[in-house]
Amino acid sequence: MRKRSITERIRLLGRAGLDVVAALGRSTLFLVHALFGRSELRNGFNLLVRQLYFVGVLSLAIVVVSGIFIGMVLALQGYNILTNYGSEQAVGQMIALTLLRELGPVVTALLFAGRAGSALTAEIGNMKSTEQLSSLEMIGVDPLKYIIAPRLWAGFISLPLLTLIFNVVGIWGGAMVAVDWLGVYEGSFWANMQNSVDFHSDVFNGIVKSLVFALVVTWIAVFQGYDCEPTSEGISRATTRTVVYASLAVLGLDFILTALMFGDF
Amino acid sequence: MSASNAYAVELKGVTFTRGERAIFDNVDIAIPRGKVTAIMGPSGCGKTTLLRLVAAQLMPTAGEVWVAGQNLPSLSRSELFDMRKQMGVLFQSGALFTDLDVFENVAFPLRVHTRLPEEMIRDIVLMKLQAVGLRGAVELMPDELSGGMKRRVALARAIALDPQILMYDEPFAGQDPIAMGVLVRLIRLLNDALGITSIVVSHDLAETASIADYIYVIGDGQVLGHGVPGELMESDNPRIRQFMQGAADGPVPFHFPAPAYVDDLLGGADA
Amino acid sequence: MRIRTLEMGVGLFLLGGLLALLLLSLRVSGLSVSNADTYKLYAYFDNIAGLTVRSKVTMAGVTIGKVTAIDLDRDTYTGRVTLEIQNDVNILPVDSTASILTAGLLGEKYIGISVGGEEEVLGNGDTIRDTQSSLVLEDLIGKFLLNSVNKE
Repeated sequence: MRKRSITERIRLLGRAGLDVVAALGRSTLFLVHALFGRSELRNGFNLLVRQLYFVGVLSLAIVVVSGIFIGMVLALQGYNILTNYGSEQAVGQMIALTLLRELGPVVTALLFAGRAGSALTAEIGNMKSTEQLSSLEMIGVDPLKYIIAPRLWAGFISLPLLTLIFNVVGIWGGAMVAVDWLGVYEGSFWANMQNSVDFHSDVFNGIVKSLVFALVVTWIAVFQGYDCEPTSEGISRATTRTVVYASLAVLGLDFILTALMFGDF
Repeated sequence: MSASNAYAVELKGVTFTRGERAIFDNVDIAIPRGKVTAIMGPSGCGKTTLLRLVAAQLMPTAGEVWVAGQNLPSLSRSELFDMRKQMGVLFQSGALFTDLDVFENVAFPLRVHTRLPEEMIRDIVLMKLQAVGLRGAVELMPDELSGGMKRRVALARAIALDPQILMYDEPFAGQDPIAMGVLVRLIRLLNDALGITSIVVSHDLAETASIADYIYVIGDGQVLGHGVPGELMESDNPRIRQFMQGAADGPVPFHFPAPAYVDDLLGGADA
Repeated sequence: MRIRTLEMGVGLFLLGGLLALLLLSLRVSGLSVSNADTYKLYAYFDNIAGLTVRSKVTMAGVTIGKVTAIDLDRDTYTGRVTLEIQNDVNILPVDSTASILTAGLLGEKYIGISVGGEEEVLGNGDTIRDTQSSLVLEDLIGKFLLNSVNKE
């Protein structure tokens, strides 16, 4: 409705840039405080177990189901292409490498952002809007320790485990399709896979990736919840932001990590 | 510069700005010990901000906030957390922890700050719940309680550690008359029985005036006036009078600032 | 009682994750529990073109080890390839030949070892003297062209 002059637009742009830098700094301080500050909570372990349940165990179903289907699709697609070159035994190797290096960590992290990340943001945002966080502070309990830290740790621990489970389930699903259905010889399926998959460069690097993703996704989710505007509108915006930012961060970081790990430089 | 003993809380020259807007501009407030003090003012005048300043959840841009002989802005984060054990706050929504039942909610401060045996915690929790009349609700979850009951449970939780200062953020907002009556009675009762200093932030005139020993009226980032309820009713300051009598138009205008009505209507044709 | 199922759920989750790691390392990546049952051999090639670390080392088509390092020998200007051979194949005669081969026309490079006739066998840290370098298509075409020019 109101027209904005050029100078005002430039000013708004500058303001937006400063806001981004400030948010980055605020979220880093937030992370450091939550993870490394002093803590005298006696029941910290129980809190962690509880969050592991909500963050990890409850994400298991979606991860397992997606894993099976992605493995099965990889087997079908891979088989169709590889038959053209007469090397359909290599389908096992293809499934395993794709899952371990790329799809496992990335897809699990995306699912995790959608399932657990958005739930974390909404939960913390809700606590903020109902003044539970303030009320913890007033009772003399640091909400960063009591609410945030267990959730962060639970995220760190859960996502790599979920990724491992996703990989195993995916390879199993792929083996089911390739061996039982398409008739690839079982011996060469597994032998090819074992020959080409290296523990350090494939399995281990995949775990490293998922650790990085776990840090980033949980951090974004928890921070968005903690930093959101404490209204129902603010919470829903923060939840959307969590999923968008986390997904973009995962995909962007995946490129960088892949270049560092598998690129030749 | 030490706080005088008659006052539990003193704000000296406090300025608080959010963005470019000054919410408080050089405000002095002194809250007498052991009394019920009400902070009143129109919505959006920063009453809740004032509570958060006293609770040190916000830091003033300038000025000093003295609570129990200590200047809050000069304390470290951990000293603040210790300081807050002497304060209780009843939030507008009650702010019960939704994943704990009523018993655990009230027991929470005790579990965090004391190493009392389980039976003693149980006794204390039941005593506090008895004080707010909800001992029978001990096993319910917060979402099974009505709004008024939530506030009473939250009140029991706020007094679990026997604080020196108890702050109420809009305790009467959105309550039915019975629940309001109960809360009015409880605030008075707890104040007199436990010798607590109570600070009630509210814009509900009748209820607040009925329990407050002393009233501060704030608006436009300033203290407009203070005194005992009767005095304020008779105040010759037009702004206080408008607020205390609930007039629609007065120094606080009915209309949001706007260009002249006629100009606006005619000017629309040019755009 | 609810706390108990929650704890059990988390416990099972952690176990599941560890089991998955175990499966991935043993069944999928074929990681052997100890790395001690291999020994090292070296081989020098004029041209290793296309051979990479983790390429297979085979004998009669059977995989008996893998390439673990490739570097340039600064004295002879040749490529030094480090091979890790399974311990149960400790019967390679000292005059065995290592050659860089290609799986199919465009497939991956690997090292094939053909057996020599000596009685003495290679031990840990020994060098395979007799090597045959990678077949480089460009060189081959070059030679062929040169031959046809010379004939004219």
